[in-house]
Formats: sequence, structure tokens, C-alpha cells
Amino acid sequence: MQRRFRTLRDLRQHETARTISIADPALACKLTPMGLLPGSNIEMVRKSPFGNAYYIKADGVRLALREEEAAHILLEA
Amino acid sequence: MTKSGMKVWKVALIGNPNSGKSTVFNQLTGLRQKTGNFPGVTVDVKEGALHLPNGLEAILYDFPGTYSLYPTSSDERIVSAVLTNQQHQFFPDILVYVADVTNLEKHLLLFSQLLDLQFPLILALNMSDVAAEEGLLIQADVLSRNFNVPVVSISGRTGANIPDLMREIGLLLTFHMSNKVAYQRFHDCSDVEKQVVGAVQQNLGMENAYMALLTAHHHDWLPHLTKSEQETLAAIVATKGLQSLRAQVDETLDRFDKFIPIVKDAIKSPPVFPVTATDRLDAVMTHRFWGPVLFFSVMLLVFQAIFDWSQYPMDTIEGGFAALNGMIRYALGDSWFTRLLTDGILSGLSGILVFVPQIAILFLLITVLEEVGYMARVVFMFDRIMRRFGMNGRSIVALISGGACAVPAIMSSRTIGNWKERLITVLVTPFISCSARLPVYSVLIALAIPSDRVLGIFSWQSLTFAGMYALGVVAALSAGWLMKKYLRTREPSYLAIQLPVYRMPYWKNVWLTVWEKVWAFISGAGKVIVVISLVLWALSNFGPGDSMEVAAETAWKTAHANGLDEAAIADAQAASRLEASWAGQLGKSIEWAIKPLGYDWKIGIALVTSFAAREVFVGTMSTLYSIGSAEDDALLRVKMASAVWPDGSQVYTLATAMSLLVFYALAMQCMSTLVVVKKETGGWKWAIFQFVFMGLLAYFSAFIVYQLLR
Repeated sequence: MQRRFRTLRDLRQHETARTISIADPALACKLTPMGLLPGSNIEMVRKSPFGNAYYIKADGVRLALREEEAAHILLEA
Repeated sequence: MTKSGMKVWKVALIGNPNSGKSTVFNQLTGLRQKTGNFPGVTVDVKEGALHLPNGLEAILYDFPGTYSLYPTSSDERIVSAVLTNQQHQFFPDILVYVADVTNLEKHLLLFSQLLDLQFPLILALNMSDVAAEEGLLIQADVLSRNFNVPVVSISGRTGANIPDLMREIGLLLTFHMSNKVAYQRFHDCSDVEKQVVGAVQQNLGMENAYMALLTAHHHDWLPHLTKSEQETLAAIVATKGLQSLRAQVDETLDRFDKFIPIVKDAIKSPPVFPVTATDRLDAVMTHRFWGPVLFFSVMLLVFQAIFDWSQYPMDTIEGGFAALNGMIRYALGDSWFTRLLTDGILSGLSGILVFVPQIAILFLLITVLEEVGYMARVVFMFDRIMRRFGMNGRSIVALISGGACAVPAIMSSRTIGNWKERLITVLVTPFISCSARLPVYSVLIALAIPSDRVLGIFSWQSLTFAGMYALGVVAALSAGWLMKKYLRTREPSYLAIQLPVYRMPYWKNVWLTVWEKVWAFISGAGKVIVVISLVLWALSNFGPGDSMEVAAETAWKTAHANGLDEAAIADAQAASRLEASWAGQLGKSIEWAIKPLGYDWKIGIALVTSFAAREVFVGTMSTLYSIGSAEDDALLRVKMASAVWPDGSQVYTLATAMSLLVFYALAMQCMSTLVVVKKETGGWKWAIFQFVFMGLLAYFSAFIVYQLLR
């Protein structure tokens, strides 16, 4: 099946994409106030040394997220 | 009210984390500041006096940084709790909102919420110097007109326009005396929200609509609500069908939609984000391989600083006290008063002050790492590992600080949102070998471990030192792993942390923080140590009835009969007196319990007294071996090395020393830490659990070590 969206987990290093929404309301409560909004421009900067965490830029703001947090962030395909 | 009868206004400094708020606070107040406590909780609030140019007097409060009035950790909750409670002692008359102007779009969510609460506000655009360098064009007047608030461009670092901000605060206070503010609303309530707001306003008699909405959202934890108010609110939320999380997200998005156009109108920024120094630094600092390597090198530097560089000031302090001691003895002669002064008070004071260099150096380094923005990277890199042990990436800051002192380390855990991860961090941090264990380790290691070298460079002694630190880390992580299995929570856990732009440390912030921590140690732990050393002095100088005189008499006769010289007779008498004292009785009464660990009654006394604080062990040993006044580790070691059991065998064998080392590494021998744990976890339950858990672990580990090595 062809999905019409990806999640933040699917981004390769240095790839960028626009967010559609954050699927988990509790996570959205944490992330939207930090400036990660629907329509934000996200860049995958790098993975953490021991895996499991991502260093991203959302509209130029540097954030660190866990893999399972990233899995809830829907991106335009 | 001041002495002159003039009203003292309350001004609160508020803003997001990383907005440079504390730097602005330090610029506005300078050294006229102190750290207070929010009643009931242990979140610090700094307060400082403001003497405004128009003659008004105000107190400035520095609230914890938060992104929103929908908090996700305990220190963020304070902001919502104060601002929704008009009776709160910190409820401000006006607010100064500090925003990072280089990223203003992301810094105004909380600001828009405060406008809806109808607070008189000043918008302070911080880091305007950086914005100018980056080529941002900011039209403060456009922002001011659209938000209907005074706007001041400032720089906390350079101090630019701080006097302007002061003047605006004075003007707004004057204006506020006779006028109410009126702002545009930044959130259009949904139908459900409207119904909730109406019901809350009616039932609780609340004027402000947004305050009513916030109170409904936070009804289950806001501390100022009564039980019946909470029930009323819960019923309103349930019957109107307010879905709190969904409503919060929708509200947040609504707000961004409304204020982003205003920001776009006022600020012209370059369209692309250039690759900056921070990106280039992070390519190395958070690199898969070099990141961790750099981190461990930094830690090595920290330990080198604590152990090596602090020796010089420590020696000076100890030397100074020894000299003072000698002077007092010479001037006053030997009397009970002189002994109280030297053995009681002076030895206690010296026991505290000698730690100041180490604590200052550790906090200096930790504060610098925090200020430049490195700590957030450490959290990012080690989150995975810490989670294996039931903690959070943020816990690593607590564990590292625990190497200096568990008290501030445990306080730093407040930024961890998840209760279980925070509790585990609080419970295991005291296993990390703190600076108070150092004197105990150094006396015992020098006493029982040979100074031979291994492989030419390492000595057995330094290896044992390293081993003690490793033991602490292993104990902390294993305990975390165990607790992770047995503690249950349904609360979600997040990493989600901002990685701030790297900046040179602002040294005024650094010095103030270091001073604050050192002073907290001297005044907090210090009082306890002085009291304990006085009690100890009394216990070892007085005994039941005339038992001490009798013991001294007997010792004199025996020694005389054996033809000892004067000095040896005096020593024998002192030892007998001590054995007959209250302290001696106490130690002997617990000897049965500690003998299996290889300890005699003298060590027993030290175990009891050092419950107050571990470093008291060394002071107690000095008193017990009647060299209390000399403050000389080398002499103490000689005396301890020659200590014998009644059957003539040596007390401080390798087995006993190792057993004591392990006991001190693992036992919860610190009253101050227990009190902090009680405060941070909201009751004695976890503090007692921790004390018993660590105590049992220490006892049985020491038992095993002694039995294996004897």
C-alpha cells in the first residue's frame, strides 16, 4: 500500500520535510509549545551515538527526540 | 510595605527555557538577590530588589522557564499555580516577558497566554545584539502597536538597554495603579470551552475567562483549590465533555496562527537558516564516536580538578585552622572551655570549610557546561543508556552533580517530567560517591592499602580510589534497574528537549551560581556539622556519674606501676576517660552488631555520629584517638594503625578497612540528603525506604567483604 504520509522516523540524515500533524495528543502537548507545529520544516540532523534518539531542526530550532516520539510525527510524503 | 510605608510592588520575570531570563535577572538585580522557596514545594524562586528610576520600590521574582501554561514538569507547574491564584504571595502586579528575539516566532506562545490572563506586561526582546549580527530587522514599534504592550530591545549579556527596561517597569507600575489593561484575545474558545468557562465563572466566581479555562484544565493538581472546588470542576469538565489534551493542542495551534502574522509583520529575517558555528560544533560534539569520547574526556578533567587542583586551597584552609587552634591553646591554656572551642567548634568549622574548594570547582565546571549549552547534548547522547536503568537522559546531570554533593544533584531532578524516572533518579543519586566521602576514603585507603605501584604508573591506592567511584556508579545503575522493574506508572515519558545555541558562558551568571551553591552548603550542611561536632564533644567529654574520673585514676595507677613516662600516662588516661564516657558506652552497646563487619566500638561511635554527614567520621576518629585538636591526617593514621583489639590483634587490617570503605560507599549516611529527598518526594515514605535500602545493602556488602578478606 502506498501511504500518503511518512513519519519522522523515515527521514534519512540531512533530508527535510514538512510536518502534517502529531498523532499522539499527549506528545503534541509537549512538542507544539516548543515550536514543532503542523507545517514546520523539519531536517533530520543526526542520530544519537547509541541510537534511539534523533537530533532534528524544526524551523531552525534544534530539538532532540526519541525514536518512538518521532514515530508519532506525520510528515508530507 | 517598607519602613517608609510605601508599597513594594511585585514584578515577575517570565519566559521560555533558553530565553536568557536568568541573565536578565542578574543584570536587573545585581548582587541584591536571594533564593527563596515556594511554600510547600522545593522549587527555588530567586528574588531581588528593584529600585526603579521613578522612585518606586519592587521585588523582582525569577520564575522557572516554561513554554506554556500547560506544564509538563513540576518546576513548570509553579508558574501556572501562581498565576491562576490571585491570593498567592508571589502573585505579581506586572510581568516582564523575556523572549529570544532571534527566534521570536517560537517564543510567544506563553506570552499570548499571559495576555489572555490580562496581566500588565512588558515584552523584553532579549539577545538583540545577536539579532543585529545575524541581520534581523526588528520593528519593535510594530510589535508594540499590535500586541498593545511596551516593547524594549535588550541584551542580557552586554547589558544594553537594561536602564530602559527599568524605566518601563516603573512607568507600567505607575500606569497600572489607575488603569486596567485590555488586550486582543489570542484564543477563540470552542463551544465546549465556552460552556466550561461559563460554568467555572459561575461556580467559582472567577472574572477572567482564560483563568477559568486554565483552572478547569488543571483542577486535579492546582494546590490552592479546595476539595469541594476540585469536585465541582471535575463534574463540569466531565458533563461538558472537555477533552483536556485535545483542547490544549487545538488552543496552542490557534494561538500560533494568531500571533505568527504579527511577528512576520515586524521582523524581517533572512529566508534560509545559515549553517552556524553551533552546527559545526555539534557535528563533532554529538558525533557517534567523538561525542562520547569528548564527554568522557571532559569528565576526566572534572575529576582531575576535584582531586588535584583543589589540594592547594584545601591544604591552606587546614593549615590555617591548625594554626588558629594552636594560638587559642597557647593564649587560653588548657581548660574545658579551650577544649570546647578547639575540639568542638573549630574542628567542626574546619570540617565544613575544607570542602568548599571542591564544591566550588565542581559547580564551576558544571555551571559552565550548562551555560554554554553542552549539558543538553549530554542528555541527548545518553538518554538511551539511562533509560535502561529506569532513568531519563536528564538524570545524567543529577548523577554527575552527585559526584560533588547529592543535595543540589537531587534538586536538579525537577526538570524530569516523568514521576517514576524522577523518583528513581532521586533514590539512586546518593550512591554516587560525593565529596563528603573523600576524606573517609583517603584516611582509610592511606591506612590499609599499600602505596606500591602497578604497571609502573598506577598506585594501588589510586586504583582503590577509582574502584570506590566505580562501585558507586555500579550501585546506582543496578538499583535503578531494579526499581524500574518494580515501580509502576502509566505516565508517559519523553525526551523532547531543546538543544540551545552554543554561547560563551556569561561569567556573572556562573559566579553567582557557584556562590549560591557554596553558600547553600555552608549554611545548610554546615549547621548540622557544627551541632554534631558539639554534641560529640560533649558525649566524649562527659560520662555517667564519676565513671570517667575513676577510669582515669585506674589508668594512672596501672601506667605508673608499669613505669611509663609522663606522655604515655597522659595518653593512657585520655583513652580510658573516653572509653568511660557516654560516647564510649554508646559505641560499646552496638559493638555486637558491627563486630561481624570487623568494627570495634570506636568505629561504632563514628558510624553513629557520621549519620549526620559522612565526613564527620574523620573528625570523630580524631577525637576518639585523642588528637582532635591537631587536625592532622597523618597522625590520625599512625594512631589508627596501632589500634588493637583486647586480644592484641590489629583493628585496621585490610579486611576491616575494605569493609568500612564499602560501607561508606553504599550507606545513606547523610541527614541533609534525607531531608531533601523527603521534600522532593513529598513525604517520609521514600526517604525512609532509601535509608533502609541503602543501609541494608551497605551492611551486608561490608559483611561479605570482611568475611572474604579476613
